[in-house]
Amino acid sequence: MAQKPKVAFYWCASCGGCEETVIDLDEKVLDVVAAVDIVFWPCAMDFKYSDIETMADGSIAVSFINGAIRTSEQEHVARLLRNKSALVVAFGDCAWMGGIPALANLKSKKGIFNRSYLESPTIVNPEKIVPLEKSVYKGTEVTLPKFYDTVYKLDDIMEVDYYLPGCPPTAKIVANALAAVVAGQLPERKSVLASDKSLCSSCSRNETKPDSVIIKEFKRIHQVIADPETCFLAQGIVCMGPSTRDGCDYPCIKGNMPCTGCFGPVAGADQGARMTAALGGVIESEEEADIERVVSGIPDPAGTFYRYGLSASLLGSKRKDKI
Amino acid sequence: MDDFNPAIIAFVCNWCSYAGADKAGGQKLPYPSNVKLIRVMCSGRVDPQFVMKAFREGADGVMVLGCHPGDCHYRNGNMKALRRFKLLERMLSQLGIEKERFKLDWVSAGESARFQELAKKMTDTIKKLGPLHLRGMVESEVA
Amino acid sequence: MNGKKTKIALFLCKCGANIADFIDLKEIESRFSGNDTTSFVETQDLLCSPAGKKNMLETIEKNKPDFVVVAACSPQMHEKTFQEVVADAGINMARMQMANIREQSAWVTTDKKKATLKAIALINAAMERSVLHDDLQPKTMECLTDLIIIGGGMAGIEAALLAANAGRKVTIVEKEISLGGSVIKIEEVAPNMECAPCLLSPRLAAVRDNKNIRVISNASVTDVLGFFGNFKVKIKRMARYVKESCIGCEACFEVCPVTVDNDFNLGLGTKKAISTLFAGSVPAAAAIDKTNCLHFTDGSCNACAAVCPFQSIDFEDTGEDIEVSAGAVIVATGCTTVNPSTVPETGYGKIENVYSMPEFERIASSNGPYGGEIRLKNGEPPRSVAVIHCVGSLSDGGVPYCSGICCMTAIKTGELLRKKNPDVEVYSIHDRLVFNGPEQQAFFEKQKEEGTHFVKTERLRDLRVVQNGTTIEISGPDFQPIAVDMVVLSTGLTPQKGTLALARMLNADLTDAGFFKADHPILRAIGSSIDGVYTAGCCASPCDVTTAITRAQAAAGDAISKLVPGRKIALEVMTTIIDEIKCAGCKLCIAVCPYKAIDFDGQKKVCVVNEAICRGCGTCAATCPGGAARAIHFSDQQIMAEIGGLLHG
Repeated sequence: MAQKPKVAFYWCASCGGCEETVIDLDEKVLDVVAAVDIVFWPCAMDFKYSDIETMADGSIAVSFINGAIRTSEQEHVARLLRNKSALVVAFGDCAWMGGIPALANLKSKKGIFNRSYLESPTIVNPEKIVPLEKSVYKGTEVTLPKFYDTVYKLDDIMEVDYYLPGCPPTAKIVANALAAVVAGQLPERKSVLASDKSLCSSCSRNETKPDSVIIKEFKRIHQVIADPETCFLAQGIVCMGPSTRDGCDYPCIKGNMPCTGCFGPVAGADQGARMTAALGGVIESEEEADIERVVSGIPDPAGTFYRYGLSASLLGSKRKDKI
Repeated sequence: MDDFNPAIIAFVCNWCSYAGADKAGGQKLPYPSNVKLIRVMCSGRVDPQFVMKAFREGADGVMVLGCHPGDCHYRNGNMKALRRFKLLERMLSQLGIEKERFKLDWVSAGESARFQELAKKMTDTIKKLGPLHLRGMVESEVA
Repeated sequence: MNGKKTKIALFLCKCGANIADFIDLKEIESRFSGNDTTSFVETQDLLCSPAGKKNMLETIEKNKPDFVVVAACSPQMHEKTFQEVVADAGINMARMQMANIREQSAWVTTDKKKATLKAIALINAAMERSVLHDDLQPKTMECLTDLIIIGGGMAGIEAALLAANAGRKVTIVEKEISLGGSVIKIEEVAPNMECAPCLLSPRLAAVRDNKNIRVISNASVTDVLGFFGNFKVKIKRMARYVKESCIGCEACFEVCPVTVDNDFNLGLGTKKAISTLFAGSVPAAAAIDKTNCLHFTDGSCNACAAVCPFQSIDFEDTGEDIEVSAGAVIVATGCTTVNPSTVPETGYGKIENVYSMPEFERIASSNGPYGGEIRLKNGEPPRSVAVIHCVGSLSDGGVPYCSGICCMTAIKTGELLRKKNPDVEVYSIHDRLVFNGPEQQAFFEKQKEEGTHFVKTERLRDLRVVQNGTTIEISGPDFQPIAVDMVVLSTGLTPQKGTLALARMLNADLTDAGFFKADHPILRAIGSSIDGVYTAGCCASPCDVTTAITRAQAAAGDAISKLVPGRKIALEVMTTIIDEIKCAGCKLCIAVCPYKAIDFDGQKKVCVVNEAICRGCGTCAATCPGGAARAIHFSDQQIMAEIGGLLHG
């Protein structure tokens, strides 16, 4: 009997939602366990880094890494898995594009530390202790991983073979991806394992969208009672659907909530720039002051358009060195 | 900062602003050589991705110049540019790009002096601001 | 620049000394020679000269590069020149990219070193971009060569005749029951005092007798679909209850028992409930005023039907919906005048014998309400008449502009009045006077000589017109009060009613004043903002009859020069195309397209560009959130490459 392919799961800067998705496979998870040999999954089972370190390079068939890279430990383990794995899949938005953690790139590390450890009203920290890489506790030197200034997506630090979108990826696309790995039927390397059209292509509400959408005012979902049938954009509500990959089966829309963009942009596009262009273009106003008023209806464009992918923005994280 | 020579990209529409810049050339009106033009058919063609790409590739300032309101060769592409860039401006400032680094303005085919003036002013503004340091553009900590 | 080795030929032009003196071309040569992708660099004295072009051609033919970059002047100067050279050398014209190192560097950079560095960046950008160029082929389309003309006034008639005489089929859509527009309501056209009906009558006859012209009168346009070369115009013809067989013999007029206001005479005088527009009109057929005709109101009368020698009465007429196809549309809907009742100080509508200029024109007309006899309400001829200029013009409440032609019409009043009664006193109360050219100026001098009193006031807004016994008194802060029998109000010209609705149907732009906007104010005044939609006459701006006709002839001439039977029309090559594999059908491109060139294909659920309408502005490509719309020759990849090339050159 042929050896079962070895599979690893790891989490970096993430919420754990992606791990939940694996559990959400329900009874299918048993098929997975039957088909593969899980060699590393710190979230669910007891493994040590040394278990991996001792493995031969390339001996893991595929590593699913979720979470963004914010600390030296995350980087270290991700690179370790890279060396030991034939394939690395960025599992979910944080690994693919930075995810929610990448919104921290809108602030400085210092500002975030100050807020979290010193200024927040619920903090009692009279000695003003903030995490340090090295500190001495009762005469012993204690170390913490280095906390980077910037939140990186996985492929900022290493080669990634495939990307699974979603926050978290849906059970369906995870099952499809696992099946493809087991069957050895993966698409072209570097692919995002979801549709290359945007969500409007399958959204049931697209038919209610007029041929000429015009927006006189942006409304936020909590400010209105959204019609449960009509296209959100036609109602003036920001919906990321036009710039977001299809494949989620639009649960948010079914729940009368606009798409927030978690399946990420279609190939080659910058999601924030695309939404700026698309929504800006259809504002109905010719007066500068009025345009200002209309666009102020999106109080946080970066957070709205890059909710799941600031690190993947053209201005997001890793840069080419300035010339 | 005297030796700082800012890189400025100006996206100019074919019909008005490119022609305005050509006229500045024909009249030999000098302007700083760091202002470099990219021709598009209409200011409405300028995708915010181009602006962001320019910043990412090292531009310290970006201009988008189109026909004056009401004069667009394609009816109202310039107004679409204006609407887009009002939104983009807000987003860019969140991403750490000062408002002054990005300018949308109008230059007609005859306004060579206006083009020269805008190019000079933009250069002065960016010189005062200094080089653009994008977040994530700090010295990379990862190996 | 991956894959097989792409070779670029770089031509540097010295432009005499224009570039060579300001840019170190040697430095550029060495920078790009031996470059991975540059197959060779060649510097020439004057690339656009016959010798330069010949040399360029031969060099390309010999070396067979994949792409050509020409670093020289502005592409607006010589892009076409060099496109032709590369095409002659067997390379697609789109593979040639210019770097504008003259206007953008040599001529505007004082420091030679900096100019050279900038030129290097510009050339580098052109190279990075050029390798991504796709071949472009000219695109053409079959076209319809017929014309449709909206409006059957003087301009519409002349446009129709010109095109019809050139062999094109023409349809005129006229809102009135017959052709003639506003000129037919004028007695004489200043300054030469040409008889307007005499000008028009033979032209009307020519329209009637021209087999290429179809007139649909008593009709309006309800929708316009399509584009240059292939328009479909939907027309609603209203019921007139009289068949085309009517020759306008007027036999029914005598027996018709109902008298109504004569709208052709602007409510002055009366006509019957069955009437023609005027005697000798084209079409000649009469029409029935349904709201007043007894047959329709109480069914009591059939007199006209009984007397008609041609059995032309058709009470069952319901009108019809007509669709006409044409290659181009000429709008000739004219303009109208400000209603003086919007300026209450003039006494219009309250004081007897205060008339608007169009009303006066009707009174003075031999086919008018009084047979050309100018008289007061009491039947007496006026002894004194004042014309007030610029009523409702140049004011916030009225039209904010000068209409340019009304001074001429206003001073014509004296000429018309003195023809009937040489002793009549005529006053022209004016602020600024506008006369155009020597003939108009001479006409003005003549009016002064012949006795018109020109009263200058700077306070036209503060004029008061009041009834004072049997006379009308006009007073103002800066002139002595004037007492007259009759007042004529010269009002400014405004867009024809329905212009906005028509413009929306045509998708054409209007100016702030509400007239049709020219494609270009100088170079193309007779084209609207939409290809294939022309303007003739006053619908583009107020103008005199001469100009109206000139515009009409120009519009028709331009249209027929482009729409030639057996020939295809050239289409824009640099359009946008939408990749249906990527398009999600989100429709946002449709919303931003200024030309309605994009349609949603409900079957495939994707958006589709109509290349016949697209002008290639690329706004949709910038909008498309799915990256499915690609602006040909200005694609994202090409522009991104140019950005990189410019910043890393």
